[in-house]
Amino acid sequence: MSELELALTRLGRELDYPETPDLTGAVRRRLVEGRRPRSWRRPLVIALAAVLVVVAAVMAVPQARSEVLDWFGIGSVTIHYVDELPKLEGEEFELGARVPLAEARDRAQFAILMSTLEGLEHPKVYYRGDIGMVSLLYGTEEEPRLLISELVSPGAIDKLLSSQTDVEPVREDEWSGAWLSGGQHVLFLPVQDQLLRLVGNVLVVHNSSTTVRIEVDVSKDEALRILRSLE
Amino acid sequence: MGRPLTEAELIERAKRGDQDAYGELVHAYQGIAFRTAYLLTGNAADAEDAAQEGFVKAFYALGRFRRGAELRPWLLRIVTNEARNRRRSAGRRGKLALRAAAAVPSGGAAPSPELSVLDAERNVQLAAALNGLRDEERDVVACRYLLELSEDETAETLRLRKGTVKSRLSRALAHLRERMEVDDV
Repeated sequence: MSELELALTRLGRELDYPETPDLTGAVRRRLVEGRRPRSWRRPLVIALAAVLVVVAAVMAVPQARSEVLDWFGIGSVTIHYVDELPKLEGEEFELGARVPLAEARDRAQFAILMSTLEGLEHPKVYYRGDIGMVSLLYGTEEEPRLLISELVSPGAIDKLLSSQTDVEPVREDEWSGAWLSGGQHVLFLPVQDQLLRLVGNVLVVHNSSTTVRIEVDVSKDEALRILRSLE
Repeated sequence: MGRPLTEAELIERAKRGDQDAYGELVHAYQGIAFRTAYLLTGNAADAEDAAQEGFVKAFYALGRFRRGAELRPWLLRIVTNEARNRRRSAGRRGKLALRAAAAVPSGGAAPSPELSVLDAERNVQLAAALNGLRDEERDVVACRYLLELSEDETAETLRLRKGTVKSRLSRALAHLRERMEVDDV
């Protein structure tokens, strides 16, 4: 270790941290009361106030319930089944600021994965700071052909699904998640209490560190091929 | 009296919903979790909130915890995300709370008065330099040196590749040296 590194280590030992609060008691009370993490609960409450009811019929069937619950969290994405999709006043294409790839790499808190498929042009790169999301857009904002979004924050995005949307479990190498197809769903950002836009087919997967959304109007197999090409 | 349960046994029990077992795990890691959150947010209330929320989220995510993996960095990763979210939401950057503490040299063999003053000055200078770093550089320095996590743990905690941790640390140290030299002028 260099002198500076040793000085930093010593400094870390000099810090006068506030006394650690009794987290054990607080966490146990939360668990006993069955209070789920806030990022799961908060948007649900908001959404319920607007239009939403969790599909009781689905939840009443044990097998279906367990399947649904399995899909409630796919990395950074939380899924809610709703009776009726909320109406959007205008569709937002809120990917954040367009930035050079080097800047996105610098600002993101994770290693950005890029598709190595031949024939794909260089994507437009966007960074959304409030949820730490990097998006790679192929095509244009008006006519996107493929959108790959990557993020790591738990509870960053909610998906509101109607019963018309098929949810198919997916497992591919280190990735697990779901292929959502057959019906549109709505993206919701809990951090901004913001309904974003309607979305069609999408592959949502995560590994031990990163959540990836691949939004593309192709088959599941094609979407998986794109997933496999990410490096 | 039975032997105490190992961490792996506690994890398996917690995965099956045993809240007592999970409580023991929280107790074991609450200190480092709170300190991590505090370094990132610079605020005790936010740190407590982030750590508590992180532990609750981790309980519900235990099904995805890989058997045999290291629990500490996995927990810290979740807490770190919570802390960062609060930092982002607050729209402010948490200053490392070093000012008062950093001016007090550590215990051990009593240093000479001159050395104490030098140590204290260096701590204050170093703290100021740290506060001047960008968040991503300061976070990696905080994990690696202030919290004394290994490079692997730092990578896991911050969801970075190990190579990125190395390069970011290298840049951060260079920036710190520059700032310290400027201050020396």
